[in-house]
Amino acid sequence: MFSFIIRRTFSSIPTILILILISFALMRLAPGSPFSSDRGLPPEVLANLEAKYGLNLPWFEQLYTYLKGIIFSFDFGPSFKYKDRSVNDILAQGFPVTLTYGLWSFFIAVAVGIPLGIAAAVRHNTKLDYLAVGFSIGAQVLPNFVMAPILVIIFTLWLNWLPGGGWNGGEWQYVIMPVIALSTSYMASIARITRSSMLEVLSANFIRTAKAKGLANSSIILNHALKPALLPVISYLGPAFVSMITGSVIIDIYFSTGGMGQFFVDAALNRDYSLLMGVTIVFGVMTILFNTIVDIAYAWLDPKIRL
Amino acid sequence: MIGNKNNFKKVAMIAAIGAATTFASMSAFSATHPKTGEELAADQSYTYRLPDGIPSLDPQLVEGVESSIIVRDLFEGLLNQDDLGNNIPGVATSFDLSADKKTYTFHLRKSIWSNGDPVTAHDFVYSWRRAVDPKTASPYSWYMEMMSLKNGAAITKDGMDSKELGVKAIDDYTFEVTLDAPLPYFPSMVTHTTTFPSHQATVEKFGKDWTRPKNIVGNGAYILTNWTLKEKNVRERNTKYWDNANTILNKVTALVINDENQALIRFKAGDLDKTEIPAGQYPAMNKSNPGEAFSFPRLCNYYYTFNLSESGPEAFKDVRVRKALSYALDRNVIVKNVLKGGQFPAYTFTPAATAGFEVPEVAYATWTQKERDAKAVALLAEAGFSKSNPLKFDMIYNTDEAHKKIATVISQMWKQKLGVNAVLANQEWKTFLETRKKQDFELARGAWCGDYNEASTFLDLVTTQAGYNHGKWVNTEVDELMNAAKTSATPNVNYTRVEQIMADEMPVIPIYHYTGIYMIRDTLKGWPIKNVQQTIYSRTFYKTAK
Repeated sequence: MFSFIIRRTFSSIPTILILILISFALMRLAPGSPFSSDRGLPPEVLANLEAKYGLNLPWFEQLYTYLKGIIFSFDFGPSFKYKDRSVNDILAQGFPVTLTYGLWSFFIAVAVGIPLGIAAAVRHNTKLDYLAVGFSIGAQVLPNFVMAPILVIIFTLWLNWLPGGGWNGGEWQYVIMPVIALSTSYMASIARITRSSMLEVLSANFIRTAKAKGLANSSIILNHALKPALLPVISYLGPAFVSMITGSVIIDIYFSTGGMGQFFVDAALNRDYSLLMGVTIVFGVMTILFNTIVDIAYAWLDPKIRL
Repeated sequence: MIGNKNNFKKVAMIAAIGAATTFASMSAFSATHPKTGEELAADQSYTYRLPDGIPSLDPQLVEGVESSIIVRDLFEGLLNQDDLGNNIPGVATSFDLSADKKTYTFHLRKSIWSNGDPVTAHDFVYSWRRAVDPKTASPYSWYMEMMSLKNGAAITKDGMDSKELGVKAIDDYTFEVTLDAPLPYFPSMVTHTTTFPSHQATVEKFGKDWTRPKNIVGNGAYILTNWTLKEKNVRERNTKYWDNANTILNKVTALVINDENQALIRFKAGDLDKTEIPAGQYPAMNKSNPGEAFSFPRLCNYYYTFNLSESGPEAFKDVRVRKALSYALDRNVIVKNVLKGGQFPAYTFTPAATAGFEVPEVAYATWTQKERDAKAVALLAEAGFSKSNPLKFDMIYNTDEAHKKIATVISQMWKQKLGVNAVLANQEWKTFLETRKKQDFELARGAWCGDYNEASTFLDLVTTQAGYNHGKWVNTEVDELMNAAKTSATPNVNYTRVEQIMADEMPVIPIYHYTGIYMIRDTLKGWPIKNVQQTIYSRTFYKTAK
């Protein structure tokens, strides 16, 4: 098991390097520059700006300086657009926000989704099952960019219960709507996957044997059926977790959270090279990290995979 | 948002105590407006929508309208603008102009920074040098060049020492500026944020972090208390501001709300006092919130430009084709049925709202649309295009819902009236800029908002050397007229002629002139709707009681 973890960890290093190289190349290939604007800057002003941000150097030198900064001082450089901030400042502001609503969303999606899926499977073809399936389908066809404004209309405009946006350092009133909007569709997916996987397991031979032995139903489900039934759920949870904690541009736009999702998209649109690189690297490392964790969890649940 | 009665009583009590103690606090807390006598709200705070995060609040690095509004609250330059756009004293109480019209001497008032240091002429010397210094790499150093400051261009371009800039502190309260050439509108230029003072000791101590709430030192009516990127920006009364006694508004909050429809919901929920009205929704908002929906002229135009350079299509080099496309475009439909916000159909490049500019009579503006359509059909036929040989071209615009609607409507008009096949394509902003700059297009959207309130801010764009002349239209007469206008006593004659030439040559298709379309809460007073440049100072606002 230990060697498996070591192996997985080391194999992720080249992946990260390739990620950096590809994002660096793609960014430079995109038309326009961080300083292009409607007005268009005079050449001498542009030259001063490029000199200040090192864009006048050959690309390999830029890449070298950049990598050196990250590896030796964990410094992602200055933002090209937000001139009063460094990329580290922006990550320090946006990441905790995203992490907060992402973790809560994940927690709620799992805490509601899995029990709902199990209940639906156990009470197969009953009203509860239909309700759970109906909810899942409903939640999936209602994307969060539709749900977010609806939530604001209901809870802010009509009921005046919750603030319609902002973050305020993560006060609970500000966190509720982003979490609902983000978690619902994941919750639905988790419930659906759990339900169908559970149904499959419940009709397996070893469950029939357990039933024949006269075990209590709750014991069958918790001790025998749950572990194998969760395997497909876990493979879904890994990427879902990463996409939740790296934020959603929709959530950030509609709830003005100041989170990372919107910075990511805007950095690309603004050609804010250093910010885009910084966010890509952090997101990339996290994706790889959680995929590794999922693999490890998988290996623990299913020994066949360790081989 | 507005405090309840109990709160109001409390404030009234505090106000009474305040009135007894000092004069300054009396005017800040008094329940009626000192001039208009309106009853003031207990809660003097103003909240508005920001469409996006603020890139910088450093006066020398700031760019963009929204950032400048905040910088004007936090810092104050030599001169300010009143609600009509006229210059009024700021830090400078007056100025003298030398006989050769090249030296301005500003006399500064005795005022202090938010940390108690005096605001002196040395602060302006430091900040102006900082603005032109290549090391600062100000994106607005070109603005300092436009100000014709002595040695300004040489410092930015050729790396001359910034100490050579034509600015001098004669004493602590006398600031002298030397220009390369007389510039009649120079005083208006010092109302721009790039010329505002920065506090040297703070800049040097904190580097790029000096504009953070915990570090910033300003000389404006407000101090920054919160600046969370893409979430909000809060500034509160600076009691050390020289005109604090006349400032009524205590707190200004800008909430970043990216989506304008979402912002409108927040306005309806009472979270915002001001927001923009999305395209097409003005009539509905005017009906649902009478007295809160505003539409007023802005100094901006909207047009499509033909690529007349080598890389442009052959067909566009024929003036008959250009005219046909312009004539067949029914501007009233765009304005009345698509935008619906009181915008003005445009037949000239320069908006009528521009100071001193009288819209010249251009023939096609006076025709009925039917007449224009008939002419368009005839001209296009003359140019050799017909149903069997239809005109075909690509038109590009930057990705945006309103631009898309307009482009779709235009292309349909052309299709129906002229049988022209215009293929639409939208491009993401930076790509669009690059495409247009490289003349890699056939017909492209363009728009311009005036830098200053005079027709040359628009008409200079169509001169041969102008960077913004993306269609690469060349007309030597226009170049001469615009050059002569700079020193002419009656520049309007030249501007009229340029507009007439443009109507004859049609290098661009003017479509409409902008209006500012805002929702402004009926209790918020003092919005400068007559200032076409929308130079805003929050300290001139106040809230009345409901």
